[in-house]
Amino acid sequence: MAQNNNSIKNRPVKQFGGSTRKTIGENGNHFLKQMIGETRTDISACYQCERCTNACPVSHFMDIKPHHVVRHIQLGWRTELLKSTTIWVCLSCEMCSTYCPNDVDIAEVNNHLRNLAAHSSIHPKESALAVFHQTFMEQLQKYGRINEFRLINAYNLKPGILKNKIKTGTLKEEIQLGLSLFKKGKLKLIPRKSRAIKEIRDLYRHKRGDIV
Amino acid sequence: MKLSFYPGCSLEGMANDYARSIAEVFKDLEIELVEIDDWSCCGSTAAHSLDQMMSAVLPARNLAASEEMGLDIVTPCAMCFNRLSFSLSQIKKNLVDLPWNVTGDLIIYDMTRFLAQDALLKKIKNRVIRPLTGLRVVCYYGCQMVRPPKITGFSDYENPLTLDRIAETAGARVLDWSYKSTCCGASIGIGRKEIQESLTKRILQKAVQTGAQAIIVSCPLCQSNLDIIQKKIPGLKLPIFYFTEILRLSFKENITKKYFKMHFTDPAPVLTKIGLME
Ligand code: SF4
Ligand code: SF4
Repeated sequence: MAQNNNSIKNRPVKQFGGSTRKTIGENGNHFLKQMIGETRTDISACYQCERCTNACPVSHFMDIKPHHVVRHIQLGWRTELLKSTTIWVCLSCEMCSTYCPNDVDIAEVNNHLRNLAAHSSIHPKESALAVFHQTFMEQLQKYGRINEFRLINAYNLKPGILKNKIKTGTLKEEIQLGLSLFKKGKLKLIPRKSRAIKEIRDLYRHKRGDIV
Repeated sequence: MKLSFYPGCSLEGMANDYARSIAEVFKDLEIELVEIDDWSCCGSTAAHSLDQMMSAVLPARNLAASEEMGLDIVTPCAMCFNRLSFSLSQIKKNLVDLPWNVTGDLIIYDMTRFLAQDALLKKIKNRVIRPLTGLRVVCYYGCQMVRPPKITGFSDYENPLTLDRIAETAGARVLDWSYKSTCCGASIGIGRKEIQESLTKRILQKAVQTGAQAIIVSCPLCQSNLDIIQKKIPGLKLPIFYFTEILRLSFKENITKKYFKMHFTDPAPVLTKIGLME
């Protein structure tokens, strides 16, 4: 062989944050400890039996399967996780956590990663889902309760959403659905205002600073 | 008997037929529901996805209001039940700092669990004048009501039975199936429709294979999800009933087609077949 590039020893290693990733646990321990502390679940107890992934109804839509999420954390591969579709696709249906023989709360782990991603500068892989959650929270802060009609309208006004819906043709479908919902009396166009708004806004100000 | 009632946002909009049937059934059962004055949204999936701390705090406002009234809470929405229970568990573990006073000394009932108590089932039985004999149904619980068991307190999370027992009391023939608590994907429907549709379709398929003529649910999101999608599946006509609608059907004469006008899949053919509707 002319080049020994193909030998296992010299195979290029994945890049991570600019530095070459060499050994397990270099970044791992720190991130693992952080995750164990913040999710209060013993992530190091996992023995990769894959029961979580088998129980998960949407694992085939995920780029990192649930048992691999746990492994990634053990190895300290944080960026991959925060960039994954997994954390947004996860439905929080709790199948994985309920059936894990070692009581690893994977649903909580995914949820925590989603929280971390939402507060990081990493662009969410499933931005439509992230934007939807964001819109929901904005509506909650504004009105105290959610009205489906208002929520969907606000969501459609977010950058890129409507354009994408027109492109994929889902907008037409959505308008038809909206019309039949309205005819059936399922849409409330003029929602009742909750007197709770002020309290909710104060709460946000108190807990999270001025967002609204 | 008196309980505080947390309806949740869906019951003001998409599921206002559910709200109506609940009011009717509880009136018939002589249980007073006092709607929590000025209740606010529990935060649902969005709150815990983006901000775990707020998702423990937001529902607590309603817990505080209910404690002030000195009443236990009952809620018909699976998601609300899950979030209220989560908040209560965090409060009990002293993990949240709240601007309100919550001692944690109250019970949060999922509505099916509340009505499936022996004494209340007996009461229901006494009210049934038109049993749904001949109606083959499967009960669908969804994910948020039963899991995770350490939050929801369902010890029978593998095979929940509250809806089964209620439907049986109303006279329906309840079939056993293994999709009782498989997630229907409602929370992802807006952003990733194809995932939601694949999950929902599978549940409907399994219900048909089991031989059911209708599905009985208690979660407003599951109902609209399972109901609306049937427009897209030719040949499928599986009415999705709220369990309170089933009770209402068995408690009263004169249910007309109009009562179910908010349903996408018209239940009239099935009900006519078993002689409960002209
Ligand atoms: S079920 Fe639990 S132990 Fe098994 S692979 Fe998943 S996290 Fe690990
Ligand atoms: S909670 Fe998420 S990862 Fe776990 S089974 Fe459900 S969808 Fe899969």
